[in-house]
Amino acid sequence: MKILLIEDDREAASYLIQALDEAGHIAHHASDGETGYAMASSMDYDVLVVDRMLPRRDGLSIIESLRAEDNRTPVLILSALGEVDDRVTGLRAGGDDYLVKPYAFTELLARIEVLARRSSPAEAATSFEVGGLALDRLSRKVERDGEVILLQPREFRLLEYLMKNAGKVVTRTMLLENVWDYHFDPQTNVIDVHMSRLRAKIDKGHANPLLHTIRGAGYMIRD
Amino acid sequence: MFRLAQLWRTTTVRLTALFMLIFVIFAVVLLGLITWQTSVQLQRQQTDAIDRESMQIKQMDSDSGFRATIIAVQRLASQPGPGIYYLADPAGQLLIGNVTDLPPEVLAEPGTYSFNYAKPRPFDDPEPDDAGTAQRQGYAVVRSQKLASGLILVVGRDVVERRGFTAIVLQWFAVGAGGILLFSLVAGVLTAVRVLRRIDTISSTSNKIMSGNLSERVPVTGRNDEFDALATNLNLMLDRIEQLMQGMKEVTDNVAHDLKTPLTRLRNKAESALRDGQNEATRKQALETTIEESDKLIKTFNALLMIARAEAGTPSGALSEIDLSAVVLDVAELYGPLAEDQGLALETDIDEGVRINGNRELLGQALVNLIENALKYYEPSEGKAGLIKVSLKRAGARVRIEVTDNGPGIPAEDRGRVVERFVRLEKSRTEPGSGLGLSLVAAVAQLHKGELRLEDNAPGVRAVVDLPG
Repeated sequence: MKILLIEDDREAASYLIQALDEAGHIAHHASDGETGYAMASSMDYDVLVVDRMLPRRDGLSIIESLRAEDNRTPVLILSALGEVDDRVTGLRAGGDDYLVKPYAFTELLARIEVLARRSSPAEAATSFEVGGLALDRLSRKVERDGEVILLQPREFRLLEYLMKNAGKVVTRTMLLENVWDYHFDPQTNVIDVHMSRLRAKIDKGHANPLLHTIRGAGYMIRD
Repeated sequence: MFRLAQLWRTTTVRLTALFMLIFVIFAVVLLGLITWQTSVQLQRQQTDAIDRESMQIKQMDSDSGFRATIIAVQRLASQPGPGIYYLADPAGQLLIGNVTDLPPEVLAEPGTYSFNYAKPRPFDDPEPDDAGTAQRQGYAVVRSQKLASGLILVVGRDVVERRGFTAIVLQWFAVGAGGILLFSLVAGVLTAVRVLRRIDTISSTSNKIMSGNLSERVPVTGRNDEFDALATNLNLMLDRIEQLMQGMKEVTDNVAHDLKTPLTRLRNKAESALRDGQNEATRKQALETTIEESDKLIKTFNALLMIARAEAGTPSGALSEIDLSAVVLDVAELYGPLAEDQGLALETDIDEGVRINGNRELLGQALVNLIENALKYYEPSEGKAGLIKVSLKRAGARVRIEVTDNGPGIPAEDRGRVVERFVRLEKSRTEPGSGLGLSLVAAVAQLHKGELRLEDNAPGVRAVVDLPG
């Protein structure tokens, strides 16, 4: 995956570039807003990671310009401003996700990988299937190997989000944001409990588990 | 003492000056109108009189002959007053009259004339005229005509007297106007000085405040005037500022305590890992602890920021109409499985469709903190099932969110003090991460113009967030 990182903190940037590289991605770096904008509009990236406060040109204006040029590349905004209002402003400017500093690299990586999928048709699909587990978004029916699984509405949304991003790591924060629509960090293992209940419903009695815990990062659904 | 320039800059004096100017313009216009009207009236009266007398004499002349005319004119001319009479023979030679030296055209051609003339000084005038002459200047309006007997009759009036009357009106008018001007000037200056004094009090108070004494307040006189209203409002604003400053100071103190302590711990761990870090496993362990510690730090920092923002009051746009029932239900549902896993039951009793003007994220976080507290302080014991109840009730104009537990509770003598301590953010922080939860709840309640109360649930705690609906 080709990623452009627009970030003025060189130390943070070089660490991120190296880590992204280790995760198997190609990452380019721009250290100011103008350069970043020039690179983003002239080259083809899968994901842009844009810091909000940049020298020469601020991050939101870069995103607005790109969107005005009909550039649909997914954008992840990085910012020290974490209030709900700041988040709303960022997403309204055309950002696709918003991550508040400081963050864990696993969190950033998971979000980048999920974002890149957005350009694929998974977003609009009406049903998902992973290793015999099928979820129909219209009839809200879940089956595994032809056996109907009854889920609570919230469990259905959890599974829906996981299956939409099948094969990708989703973090606890991402689940809280996308399934519950809250943006704070749960202080306890509150998400884990929900996940273990979901796991009990979909994996119990099956030889190959589909729902995996990725240590230090989050969860993933895959074959 | 107030300098004149300072006085001039005051609104009161400027307004007074403006009103004076308007008054003067009005007075001058009025005066002009009166003078003009008086003069027109007087002139009309005089012209009427001249015409009447002329007609009478002319009638007499044609009826009774020139002798009667001469006698009549003589009688008229000898009366004191503004009347001017002049009777001449057909050649223009004066026969009888109280004036001499008429302009020749008056006698030559009948008609109406006005001219300057030398007026004979009346014998009873004790004032000697300048240049010693027995005459003074007059201005006459006359009508001359030929009589049936061939004599030339000139009847007129001296208008200087008429003008004198106008002058007297004008003079008194000027005195009156001057008096009013002087009075309003004095009144304006006095008012301005009084107003300036009140404003100076406010200015000097704000100067004291700006130089650092935030407890200073603008004096309120108790006269209940607009200055008192202003002073009261300023004082309320100052109270708010002082409160915010106090909050800021508390945040700084909290940051110092809550962040410096774990930072020190973090640093110590890194140091000790360096010192005896030959063992790869130990080093890995130390690094993992470091990351864990810094995550805790970030959480504490976020909580502090959130409290500070909530206490400062967010911009009005941050509050919007939200479905509080859905928020409470969501959070209760989020924590239900966790409580169950820890051996507690989480029950809900939520009124439907409760909508308030609020901040969804902050209220959600506040409720999370209350539930987490109840979970944290639950002590499993024999024969007693743990129970957390989350309820949302609308009672009239109030909305109450309650989280109750049947845990150990807070001793009665401490309860008031504990609530007090939340507000003042002076919590004991022996356990990391435990000190800010309720402070945030209190700040969120305050932001929504409500309050957090801790009550006895016998046993356990009933945390009540009481909000205006």
